[in-house]
Order: sequence, then structure tokens, then C-alpha cells
Amino acid sequence: MAKNSELTVIAHDVRVEGDFVSQGDVQIEGEVSGNVKTSTELRIGTEAKIHADVFANNATVSGEVRGNMQIEGRLDLLEGARVAGDINCDILAVSAGAQINGTVTMGGRSVAEGEKKEDEA
Amino acid sequence: MYYYVYDEFVQDAKHEKELALIETRLTDLGISGKIARLALFRDASELIRDEVRKGVKTVVAVGNDGTLRKVIGAVARAGVAMAVIPVGTSNNTIASMLGIKPGAEACEIVAARIVQNLDMGSINDRRFIHQVHFPKTKGLRVECEHQFTLQVPPGGGFEVRNLAYEEPGLRAANPLDGKLDLAKCAEKKSGWFSKQQAPATCIPVTSAIIYSERPTTALVDGEAVEGTEFHIKVVPKSLKLIAGKGRIF
Repeated sequence: MAKNSELTVIAHDVRVEGDFVSQGDVQIEGEVSGNVKTSTELRIGTEAKIHADVFANNATVSGEVRGNMQIEGRLDLLEGARVAGDINCDILAVSAGAQINGTVTMGGRSVAEGEKKEDEA
Repeated sequence: MYYYVYDEFVQDAKHEKELALIETRLTDLGISGKIARLALFRDASELIRDEVRKGVKTVVAVGNDGTLRKVIGAVARAGVAMAVIPVGTSNNTIASMLGIKPGAEACEIVAARIVQNLDMGSINDRRFIHQVHFPKTKGLRVECEHQFTLQVPPGGGFEVRNLAYEEPGLRAANPLDGKLDLAKCAEKKSGWFSKQQAPATCIPVTSAIIYSERPTTALVDGEAVEGTEFHIKVVPKSLKLIAGKGRIF
């Protein structure tokens, strides 16, 4: 994550409710309920609990997300990441030990759709 | 045209020598001007308003952070430039962040006249330049930009920072970014792991309302204000302040 004067940090002991919108990078170590939206980088730490839909340019997740994730670029799910919701991203990197419970759509089509088209070919 | 506002404490005998050096240096640099001396029942705002009407372009606070606090609102409203000449060695945090050295050395910075157009903060219509500090955070709730709410956990302190030093886990607050930083200070820990500081909460906002369940104290640039509801907003580029090359922003 780039060093940024607009960096927003929500530390592990803080709880946020509502629509959280930022123009800069966001690092979440605490709890967020509502929506999380940033036009740049989002980092969700190991202790973080997100009960929200997430919108970001790029994201790295080590904690828990209960909600849909709409990522423009790259999504990194690190060991211990738990996502319960649908994921839409361009590039996805999943480490061993990460969990996804939901549909994954990449480059505008879902994995299921992609498999169907390959079978037809 | 310069207008020098001397705080009450600088008129003590122990600052006599330092003050004489400052006045000599100001004369040498050709920037001496009219002097006002603050006293118990002498309102700085009125003095400044009258002098600005007569053509004063720069108000110089001679004293410490407290002096700055006494004149800053009036200067910002008048739209003239401001400078500070720190006297003594204590309570000069703001001058230090502005890169202004104490005593006669500050006169050079005033004469160099690097004017920065800084943001100010406003809390319940009262202006501040440095920060608002809430020493007790129990029962504090912050509504940010009318969009989301922050529950502040007990322990440590809570700050609204406009111009502030970098601290462990917390970046410096920049008064040129058009934002105020809401910051939850970490509790001080001792022991082997105390150097490994986790990042503290820091949220840049333009406005917020801080609610407290019980009447609480907010230190506005060091001055105590009591209340249960504090309306905070940034006032962008509202203070023309002379700063030194060693400023932190």
C-alpha cells in the first residue's frame, strides 16, 4: 500500500457503522457495518470484521468479509481470509487457507459461465 | 505594517532581556511596528479589529501557544497575515511545528515572510489551528460527514488534528490538505513490545459531530471547553500564517 496522506486507518478496537467512503487508501483492522467504498487500495487485516458490501480498486483481505466484493483490479485473499458473499474482480489471487462462500465473477463473467462456454467449445 | 501583540506573561522581568533582543532585531530588520500589551480585561479581538481598520497587514503574536490562541480567531476573520515570535521555553508546540525558533531567531523568519495559507478547524464556531483533544473517550460517538458513525472505545484519548506531529502509529496532520484527521490515540503500554506500535485509527474528514453521553472536556489548542455535543469542520485556507523552512508540512 502506498504511503498516502489520505490513508484512512480503522484500528482493531474501533467500530464503524454506515456508508464509509474514501478517496484514498483504506486499512481496516476493526469492525465495519454498512458499505465500504474506496477508489484506491483497501487492506482488510486479520482481526477485521466487515459486514458490508465492499467496492475498491484493489484489495487485500486477511480477515472476515460478509458481503459482496466489487473489485476493479486485483483481489488478494491471504491465508485466514473468509469471504461470505459474491466476488467480482479482474484478477484474483487466493492463498492456501482462504475461504470463499459465494460466486466468483472475473472479467465480467462468472466461473460457472466460463466452464459452460469451454465445454460447448 | 506590522502589529505586535505582547502576551501578559512576556512583560515579566524574567523575559525582559529576551524581549529587548527581539525588539532590537526587529528594528535592525526594518519590521518594527506598533505594540499592544494584553492584560486581564483587554480583549485581543477588539485591538486587532481596530488596527486592521487602520491598515495593519501583519499581526505578530509575541508569547506562546496561548497567545496564538487569543489572537488567531480575530486575525483569521480580518484576513491579514499572522506570525508568532515564541518567548520562553515552554508551551511553544505550535511555533515549533511551524518551524519558528524562539526569541530573536524568529525575527528573521518573520522578515523572510514565507506566508502559508493554512486550513483551520472550527469547533462549535470556535477556531483552532493545532488540535482538539478529548482526554476521556468513554461514551464518545462520532458522526462523520453525515455518512457513518464511529464508536470510540474507552482508554487512550481522541483527537481532531489539523496541524500535529507524527506519533507512533499515527501520521503527522497536514494543514494544507483540506481535511481534519480524526485520531484515536493508542493507550500507552510499557514492556518489551511497546516499540511495536500498531497503526492507530486515523480518518480524514471535512466535518463531524462528536456526541458525549455525559458532559466532557475538550482541549481546544490547549484551552478547556465543556459540552456534550461538538460540531467540527475544516475551514480551508482560512489563515495566512508566516512559517519557517523547518515547518513539518
